[in-house]
Order: sequence, then C-alpha cells, then structure tokens
Amino acid sequence: MSAMLLKKEKWPDFVGKLTGKKVWAPQGEGEEMRFAPVNEGEAPDLAYGNTRVPPKQAVFPQTETMFRFQVDGKEIEEPQLDQETVLLGVRPCDARSMAIVDKLFGWDENDPYYFKRRELVTLVGLACSEPGINCFCTSVGGGPAATEGLDLLMTDLGEDYLLEAVTEKGELLLKEAGDILEEAGDDRYKEKEKLAQAAAQKIKRSVDHEGIPEGLPGLWEDPLWQRVSASCLGCGTCTFLCPTCHCFDIQDEVEGFAARRCRMWDSCMFNEYSLHTSGHNPRPSRRERTRNRINHKYSYYVDKFDVIACVGCGRCINLCPVNIDIVEILRQVKEAL
Amino acid sequence: MDLDKLRETAAEVAAREDVKYLIGWKKGSYGYRVAPGFVEEAEGAAGLIFSPLCTANLATYLTLVEKLPLPRGQEPDKRKVALMVKGCDSRAVAQLLVEKGIHRDEVVVIGCPCPGMVDPDLLGEKYPETEEPAEVKWSDDGFIIVRDGEETAVPRDELLAEKCRLCRYPNPVISDIMLGDPVDTWDPAEDEGVSEVEDKDVDGRWAYWQEQFSNCIRCYSCRNVCPLCYCQDCILDRLNPTWVNRSVNFSENTAFNIARAFHLAGRCIECGECERVCPANIPLGKLNRKLAREVRDKYGFEPGLDPEAEPFQASFKPDDPEDFIL
Repeated sequence: MSAMLLKKEKWPDFVGKLTGKKVWAPQGEGEEMRFAPVNEGEAPDLAYGNTRVPPKQAVFPQTETMFRFQVDGKEIEEPQLDQETVLLGVRPCDARSMAIVDKLFGWDENDPYYFKRRELVTLVGLACSEPGINCFCTSVGGGPAATEGLDLLMTDLGEDYLLEAVTEKGELLLKEAGDILEEAGDDRYKEKEKLAQAAAQKIKRSVDHEGIPEGLPGLWEDPLWQRVSASCLGCGTCTFLCPTCHCFDIQDEVEGFAARRCRMWDSCMFNEYSLHTSGHNPRPSRRERTRNRINHKYSYYVDKFDVIACVGCGRCINLCPVNIDIVEILRQVKEAL
Repeated sequence: MDLDKLRETAAEVAAREDVKYLIGWKKGSYGYRVAPGFVEEAEGAAGLIFSPLCTANLATYLTLVEKLPLPRGQEPDKRKVALMVKGCDSRAVAQLLVEKGIHRDEVVVIGCPCPGMVDPDLLGEKYPETEEPAEVKWSDDGFIIVRDGEETAVPRDELLAEKCRLCRYPNPVISDIMLGDPVDTWDPAEDEGVSEVEDKDVDGRWAYWQEQFSNCIRCYSCRNVCPLCYCQDCILDRLNPTWVNRSVNFSENTAFNIARAFHLAGRCIECGECERVCPANIPLGKLNRKLAREVRDKYGFEPGLDPEAEPFQASFKPDDPEDFIL
C-alpha cells in the first residue's frame, strides 16, 4: 500500500484531475446530506459526519430502469452505462457495506445491473475522527479507518490528507494526481494510525454478537419479538437508510404505449413485501417482520456468506421515529439465548 | 405533572380486567430519546414518563395493530386499549371516533394536559444528543435541560416545537381519566410557515414543493405514523390498478404526497408527527396545515373536537362555498 500526502489547499486540484469521471460527494446541509453529483469545477467540502442516505444509491439506485419497451412492440432498449464515477468522502462503514452486498449480488448469478455500476465506481474513503453517538462499527468487524471495500482511503491530518491506495483503482488515482502529491513519511503514517485508534476509542456503543448467528433461529417464538416490535410503525426508514439492505421489487410501469421495466428498493418492513398472490402473508405482522430484519442481518447472512450484514453505521437507530434500537434488540437477544 | 400520580393511575388502569394493555411514553434507549411504552402488567407502569420529549402521538397504535386470523375456536381479545394522550393526540382519538375507525368502548383515554413539547431538532442543535441518559423537564416559564448531571434553564420560546406554538388545544378534548389540572392555553402563533408558501406565486410554490418532494425516499413513515392514515387498503399499496408507481422520482413522489394531503383535508388534527418522522426533512406540516386552514376558513370546521360531529368530507350544506368550481 503506497501512502501519499495531499496538501489541503491542493484538494480542488485533486478533484480537478478527475476529469471525464462523474464525481459524487456528500451534498446538502447538516443532517440532510446525501451523495449527489458534484458540479464540474467544484471541490466538495468533506467536513461532515455521515450522510443520512447511504451511498449505496450510487451502485444500487432507489429506482433503476432495466430496459424500455413499447407495449405493442418487440424491441427492448437498455440504458447505456459507461460513465466512470468517483465517490468522494465515503465513510469506511459504508464502503464495507458494499463489499458485503457484493456477496449477495454475486452469489448465484452476477447481477449485471449492480456489477455494471460497481465496476465503474471508485470509492475514495474518508477515515472517521469523530464517530457519531450510535456508531458501533468496531464491534461488527469494521473500524473508523477500515479499508475493506474502498479503493483509496483519505485521512484528515490537519493541514494535509494522507492518501493510501487500497486497490489498483486507488493506485491509478494516485498516479493520475501526479505531482500535486508528496511522498508521505513514516511519521505521518504513524500519526494516522494514532488518530484511527483515538477515533475507535470514542465509539461508545457495541454489540456482543458471539453466539447470536447460531442462536437466533432458536428464538423464533420468543416473546422478545413481540416486545421489541410493539412500537414499530412498519415504515421503511430503517431499511431504506441501511447501507447493507438490498431488497428490491421489479415492476413494469406503463404510460400510454411506452413502458419500462424497473427495479426499486423494497423493504421487508412493509406488509406488501411478503404478501403472496393468494392473499396469504407469511409475515403477517410487525412482529414477524422485525424478527426477519434482525435474523437476516445477524443470522441468515452469516450462515450464507460468513459475514454480518450490519456495518454498525447507526442510521437505523438515529432515524427510527419510535426509538427502536438494534443494539438494544441484540442485547435482549443475547439475554434470551 | 406529578409522575407518581401518573404511574399510580397507569398501574391501576393496566391492572383492570377489561384492559388489554396501556400505551404511554417511557425513557428511550439513550440520550433524550423517548419511546412508546406498552404496559401489560401494573408493574410496567413504573417506567412511564411524561415530559417535553413525549412528542409521539400514540393514537396511531389504535389502528396499527394487525387483526390476524385466529386459530379455530379462539375468541378475539376484546378488552380495551388504554392510551395516554396530549391535547393534539386526543383530537386524533376524537376524529377516529367520528369516522368510526374505533369505538368508544374499545379505548380508555388518559388525558395529559400539555404545556408544550420541545422541538427535538432545536434541542439537538443547542444541547447535542448524547449517549448518556438526558432529559428535559418543564419549569414555570420554560424548560430545564438535564444533561451530563447539569441542569440548564431555557426560555420556552427558544425550544418550543412549531406545532405547539400553533396549538389551540393543549388540553385533551376527550378523556376518561384526566391527569392533573388543565394547563392555561396560550395565544397560538401566526402560522408563518404556511403563509410564506401561500405568498409565493404559482411558479414559486411549484418550485418549492418540487425541491421538497424530490427528496422523498418513499419510506411511508409519514403515512404509518399518522393516526388518521389507517385505510386497510391504501391506494399506495395497490398494484392493480397501480395508482401511484413505485418509481421514486419527483412526479410519483408528488402524486403520493398530494394524495395523502388531500385524504387528510378536514381530518388532520395537526399533531405534526408526519414532519417529525420524515427522514428527508420534508415540511409536511405546512402542507397539511394549509389544507386545515382552508377547511377552517372556508367551512368553519375543525376536526377532532367533537366525537359526535358529522365527518367533514361526508357532509353537505346548500350554502357551502363553491367558488372554486369553474
């Protein structure tokens, strides 16, 4: 891994070198921030906590047109995807979520829509120095300066950014930036390590998941599910804002004779999600749906892909309208084991 | 409010044989957070609270509970649900009674006269959220923030939630049991939020809502939290025919938000929950209060005040204004 230094005053030059690529970065104000395309010639401000909507939308858009067709015709027209995109300022938890979701989309068949975008995307991360109060990445396999899923990691060292390439794509970015970068000495690298450790220590919340993946299915009828789901509103906030939630629905949308087949985020917290054509619903109430959300993340996914499908970003806790807190649910699960 | 009295009353109600469970507010899992508390046994009442952080309108749970098919021979549990309500929440209960969404003998309403809630966003800006337990209390002329073991007095105007500044009914309009004496009502503020949008020209209003609705992620938290959005078969969920496409874009988002607003005209009781829960920070309160204002100004009707009232959208008077019909 090669480490380079970028003076902060040269940040706009670094962004300027990304010509020909679409640049996405956190945009908006305060808590409303989300990843969106940056206007050409602008250098995004990276001083922010984390975006409210995760960057998963860059590789897995909320609504994706798969193809267009005429109701009375036989031709289909697929949208062309060839635009390289660079995401700037991705938090390590969100980058890790993409590495986790890759497993699902690449499991039996490679999902062409997902991987097409995934291959065109370069993830430039930003290490966290001030974790949020509901962050618990360190207890689910991540960290404030974790590199999994990233192509390049940036760390704010005050006057400079330390840039570390993680993949070939990252190396390429460093090469393209050329002489605006300086070699980083060992001392700067150590400085970064220290910052990362300090940030990790600021994380207050944690999940003790030992035994949970194996134990969860045994708690199927446990009264805890009724308890933790009683106040659930059945909305999609937790799942839509979750960086690892990846469920989608496919619909044909028709206007006159013009139609398009598209897929869009779906949420296992919706009644409609598991409703069968017959009218039967195997998850008829919020109790079963909440149980499924936790089981999927902390048991089924582990069983299938050997990794917990939760990166500890804390969004579902921050934004649940009724304070349903996954850390607290997992504590109760642990207690019930 | 006297918390001991609240807990004592709640324990008595929860212990009643004709009560299934009681819904109140309890301390949340961290910081300032408050969560809905479901109390089945009298002992559970010990955790209940009533504070300026109890913004959630619990009346939504009356219609949110799924009616699942029962095993053969099992009788449905017809016991009552007890519910703690503030002024605005009680209006939701009254409106549900008007619409026969619930029946009076299904609920025990415990009224909590409300001196006004804090705005969680304003609170967070000045006294940031913390992982340690923190709380807010009422003082004679404002709020007291209890955080990091320190108490800070804050003037009422500084943190009072918008819906409370506009509130005309801080005391529950219906109740079976009232906790404490009614609070003094206050002069409701002018609804500048609605007026500001009203004052824009058509293009300005369009541009304003276009920006807002473009942010919608269609999580439906506004619909689900709304005590008066309780259709068993919501048009948003229908696929055949599809009234609103699942695509998330400005056009479909607008169809959704406008449809919801119109369905609430003359029914919205202005509890502000839709705006509070929206993860995209869409000012939904403005939209619903605009329609409430129209109904109030044009028809002299306010929903959720009289459980015996005729539903606004089902009533007709020969002298109703019709100047909007071309």
